[in-house]
Amino acid sequence: MLEIKNLHVKLADEDREILKGLSLTVPKGEVHAIMGPNGSGKSTLAYVLAGRDGYEVTDGDILWNGESLIDMEPDERAAKGVFLAFQYPMEIPGVAGLTFLRTALNSVRKKRGEAELTTPAFLKLAKEKGEKLNIDIEMLKRPVNVGFSGGEKKRSEILQMALLEPTLCVLDETDSGLDIDALRIVSEGVNALRDKDRAFVVITHYQRLLNYIVPDKVHVLADGRIQKTGGKDLALELEKSGYAEYTHKAA
Amino acid sequence: MNVAVMKTKAEQAISESFEAVAEKLPGSAAVKARRAQAIGAFSGLGLPHRRIEEWKYTDLRVNVKEVLAPSVEDETPVTIAELLVALGPMAHVDGHRFVFVNGHHRAELDDVADAGGLKIAAVGELLASATEDLSATLAATPEGGDAVEALNTAFMTDGAAVRVAEGASVTKPLMIVFVRAGSQASSVTVRNFVTVEAGATATVIEAHVVLPGASPDVQLNALTEVTVGKGATLHHAKVAVDEGKALHLSNCDVTLDADATYRNFQFSAGLGLARNGLNIIFEGEGSKIDISGAYLARHSEHIDTTLVVDHAVPRCESRELFKGVIDGHGRGVFQGKIIVRPDAQKTDGKQMSQALMLTEDAEFDSKPELEIFADDVVCGHGTTAAELDPDLLFYCRSRGIPEKEARALMIESFIGEAIEKVENEPLRDALAAYAMQWLGHSPRG
Ligand SMILES: Nc1ncnc2c1ncn2[C@@H]1O[C@H](COP(=O)(O)OP(=O)(O)OP(=O)(O)O)[C@@H](O)[C@H]1O
Ligand SMILES: [Mg+2]
Repeated sequence: MLEIKNLHVKLADEDREILKGLSLTVPKGEVHAIMGPNGSGKSTLAYVLAGRDGYEVTDGDILWNGESLIDMEPDERAAKGVFLAFQYPMEIPGVAGLTFLRTALNSVRKKRGEAELTTPAFLKLAKEKGEKLNIDIEMLKRPVNVGFSGGEKKRSEILQMALLEPTLCVLDETDSGLDIDALRIVSEGVNALRDKDRAFVVITHYQRLLNYIVPDKVHVLADGRIQKTGGKDLALELEKSGYAEYTHKAA
Repeated sequence: MNVAVMKTKAEQAISESFEAVAEKLPGSAAVKARRAQAIGAFSGLGLPHRRIEEWKYTDLRVNVKEVLAPSVEDETPVTIAELLVALGPMAHVDGHRFVFVNGHHRAELDDVADAGGLKIAAVGELLASATEDLSATLAATPEGGDAVEALNTAFMTDGAAVRVAEGASVTKPLMIVFVRAGSQASSVTVRNFVTVEAGATATVIEAHVVLPGASPDVQLNALTEVTVGKGATLHHAKVAVDEGKALHLSNCDVTLDADATYRNFQFSAGLGLARNGLNIIFEGEGSKIDISGAYLARHSEHIDTTLVVDHAVPRCESRELFKGVIDGHGRGVFQGKIIVRPDAQKTDGKQMSQALMLTEDAEFDSKPELEIFADDVVCGHGTTAAELDPDLLFYCRSRGIPEKEARALMIESFIGEAIEKVENEPLRDALAAYAMQWLGHSPRG
């Protein structure tokens, strides 16, 4: 279970609070969607979950399976099962996708006390998982994300997720920039991972995604806090009414 | 104008040491005369210092305090097995081998059977030979010439004289191996001549390596003179891997005839103070060069690459890419001068020098210079000095890759882009392996 309690986060080198007492609980086996206006702090929340530098937690806590993540390094969190699919996946010139994936997978396996995969076993796995997401193995011989289209980058994030098999999956606008077919493929990839031991936090701007990845709960994040929580119908409501109500409340 | 400057202790010692060993240095009377002229020129020049523009960042007068005794003869025992250990990852390069120990040819370590169109001889023997007098090839040190090259002429003991016959295509690379062995710290001076005749193709790798247990100190002066004939191709590499204390002064002077191709890759790691000088002159139209390199500096190591590309004729193309990884208090220096003479229309020259700075104390000085006297040319240069991108590190770490490994992955990818320039695959793999060793990693299986 993910428990975020009264989380206050400010920018490390600026006196600006972004998350202002955010509380959120996501039990294992559930998918929770987070929606909210631009600049409300959704990506900040995702980064803080993954442990990115540049943010300072001034109050509150983040517990994953009862353990606080706050003092853990990003790679320790990954070993504990945390995974963030980035809103803007990064390009790593000079590092072949396969090398990157294998290094990541074996690092995580090592930390989890599992044996490292041999090259052939890894290639077989990468090929198999790649096919499901419509990612050709040839693409993975190229440097990570370099020259990939927006949609290809998002699919490659989901491939990373499928290989690393994390237990806390945070998806930051994975649907943005995907064409209709890619949206379906990515959603199928995500749904295939849904199980009773996994929790999902799905950040999105569009109700459409939630037709494919049906959430257990929908939260509205505005002005650094969860302003409202509801079922999947809340997304439909938001589609009609927008965020005016919540931003006013915040102001 | 010669301003009388007080000689440093080291300069004094160099001249004295020449007096002491001159008799033992190989050479006919004509060669001896050349040596005497060179040491005379050196006396006038002194060690290069920062007020000489080309040596602005690498002041030998300040940095060379002691002078090691020249290695004028050597009998340190070295076996082939030991040599292979010294070669490390380069032992996998399948090539002909011509070997020098502490600056002296060791025929029993060679492997030059069936070298086809490749003729190779030891410079030490040629210098002494009455029939093949090299003195004619040995240029006199010009007035105001380079002091390091003058010292090379004065002290050179040996080296490889390589000739690739007209039209010959030598598939196996030739490795000229300079190995340091024994506990005696000495100065080693070698001179190579590489001539690739018209239409011929060859690969030459100069490797400077150390036997385990050898003295960590050395003062090396190596000069390689290269001539690439009409339509000929030479793939040339110099690899110097040491233990952090070596003084490594190297020069490579190249002349290209028309329609020639010349590629040179310089790999330096673990050199205390290094100067890699490259002087390339286009003398015939339509030729192409690619001069690249990778260097790794840590602690207080200092690696200087100084390049002069002289487009003296039209329609030639030059490409340079140098990448350095600088850790600790290390310092990287890159000086790249591209000269385009008035006649050299349609010149195409591009240069890039990049440094990856791993610490706040790392230093990088870059001085690209374009001297263009023709109007119809395309020339460009660029320099970057960057730290590891914290966003990319985070990206890697968020995928579970520990910090140390994430850093290594980023560094490898940075340096890898330069190493990719090496055409010989086993050598390319060997250099990548050296880089990994340097990063404290065993090669990825
Ligand atoms: N590293 C940073 N430096 C400066 N400002 C930042 C940083 N990270 C976040 N912010 C600011 O914090 C606020 C919240 O940003 P965040 O990216 O979390 O919003 P978001 O909800 O993800 O928006 P969007 O829907 O546009 O993706 C914004 O005003 C943003 O400019
Ligand atoms: Mg965002």
